[in-house]
Amino acid sequence: MISIDKYAYMSKLKRADPMPKLLFTLLTLGVCLWANSIAVALLVLLLMGGLTVCRGGTPFAVFFRLMLIPFSFLMIGVITIAINISADREIFLFSLSVFETNLGVTQIGIDSAARLFFKALGAVSCLYFLSLSTPLVDLMLALRRLKVPALFLELMGLVYRFIFVLLETADIMVIAQHSRLGYAGLAAGYRSLGTLAATLFIRSYKRGEALYTALEARGYSGELNVLEERFSTSWTAYLLLVGLNVIIILGTLFFRDQAGGLLF
Amino acid sequence: MNENILESRDFHYKYPDGTHALKGISLQVKRGQTTAVLGGNGAGKSTLFLSFNGILKPSGGMIFFDGRQLDYSHKGLLVLRSRVGIVFQDPDSQLFSASVVQDVSFGVMNMKLPEQQVREKVAAAMTRTGITHLKDKPTHCLSFGQKKRVAIAGVLAMEPDVLILDEPTAGLDPLGVSEIMKLLKQTQQTLGITVIIATHDIDMVPLYCDHAYVMHEGEMIMAGTPKEIFARKDVLRKVNLRLPRIGHLMEILEDKDDFHFNEQATTIKEARKVLKAWRTDRQ
Repeated sequence: MISIDKYAYMSKLKRADPMPKLLFTLLTLGVCLWANSIAVALLVLLLMGGLTVCRGGTPFAVFFRLMLIPFSFLMIGVITIAINISADREIFLFSLSVFETNLGVTQIGIDSAARLFFKALGAVSCLYFLSLSTPLVDLMLALRRLKVPALFLELMGLVYRFIFVLLETADIMVIAQHSRLGYAGLAAGYRSLGTLAATLFIRSYKRGEALYTALEARGYSGELNVLEERFSTSWTAYLLLVGLNVIIILGTLFFRDQAGGLLF
Repeated sequence: MNENILESRDFHYKYPDGTHALKGISLQVKRGQTTAVLGGNGAGKSTLFLSFNGILKPSGGMIFFDGRQLDYSHKGLLVLRSRVGIVFQDPDSQLFSASVVQDVSFGVMNMKLPEQQVREKVAAAMTRTGITHLKDKPTHCLSFGQKKRVAIAGVLAMEPDVLILDEPTAGLDPLGVSEIMKLLKQTQQTLGITVIIATHDIDMVPLYCDHAYVMHEGEMIMAGTPKEIFARKDVLRKVNLRLPRIGHLMEILEDKDDFHFNEQATTIKEARKVLKAWRTDRQ
């Protein structure tokens, strides 16, 4: 998560207005889920990967590694969908008989499993495009313009900021515990971990109080008003993102009509 | 215009748990000067500062800002907090935003100014504190010294009359310390603001401060120019403080090595002067 944040700040797409990026992500995600087609999912994956790597300058290896994270979950999920149970042996491509019934793989099962697999990869690539090109602060700006409640956004911002403070504190404490052999044995390890959790909780509470005092000192009266960064927005970006998705939708409908089959 | 920008008379503060943190503090902070508040840990410096900003309300006695008693109404507090700014010791508990610009702008935005004006003030504060190049960096990637500067910029952007800093040099490397102190001195000269510093960094006091107060266990036990304060070294030592290193050296030279100086010296500059005078006297 922290490396995603780092790459988002390094991305060349960071300077772009977050609003079109967010809309592009959501729209393409929606189209990918709607189409339920392997070809569209692959196209989306290629598009998002291409944009992130070529336009954003995120190293390909990073994008690839991140795509591997959902892979293992997906495999498990997909296998359970591909395998069916039925008393009728005829419907299976191949099967095993277990007790009174049969366990096997059907054509329809494989079909829907493959669709789900690629659809999920495509959807994940959309979200990676957004998170690898848009730091959270910019994303919050876009959400604010979409009229997401301020309270929600303020919480989001504070949680984001203090995750890093919390991690840093935890890191230092773990090192300090290690240096006094806090994790030398299993029992000691559990004890140290318990103390760590308790102390972190107290620290966080105190830090929260200190933050409130500091905010008050700068005239806080219930709202975290801050200056918003200005982005030069061009209508072409919106036209492009809508146009691209319309083409994908029309293409899907056309090929589904003409060719059909597993891909569409 | 009142000569004392901040003043307290017989000011007491008791925490809700019964701790009597401040016991009758009377002090006058002169406009445009740098005032140091010295004291060991738990002397009550932070409590005092929070009261100057209206965050803590006196349990007894009075506090005046610019000749007028503090107004604790919602509106009065907002005005006070835009005139008296506090930079806290730990920048991590002051910086709430992951964006440097957003954090610096927070206080100014609370002053309800037009956006253009806010942008100008934020940019000016960032230039003054030398953090313009950090504009696009996230707060969590900054070093401690950089965070400290951002915290100072966040308060300076409000262009307060009084800038209060709690341990501004704690945790900084020697270069960082002198940079921060120069920055404060410069800001004070160009903007004409009053600076109040709580510190343990005794060596800094004769160099940068015009006036000093010494606190101990919630009481104000000494007040005066740094020279006057450091002349009473026994009192200082009794409250866990010390002389500046140079001052200590000069003291040892006099007590143990038969030097005789006509003046007290607490900085390198003063020591050179005094030692040169001693040499000419001998010749």
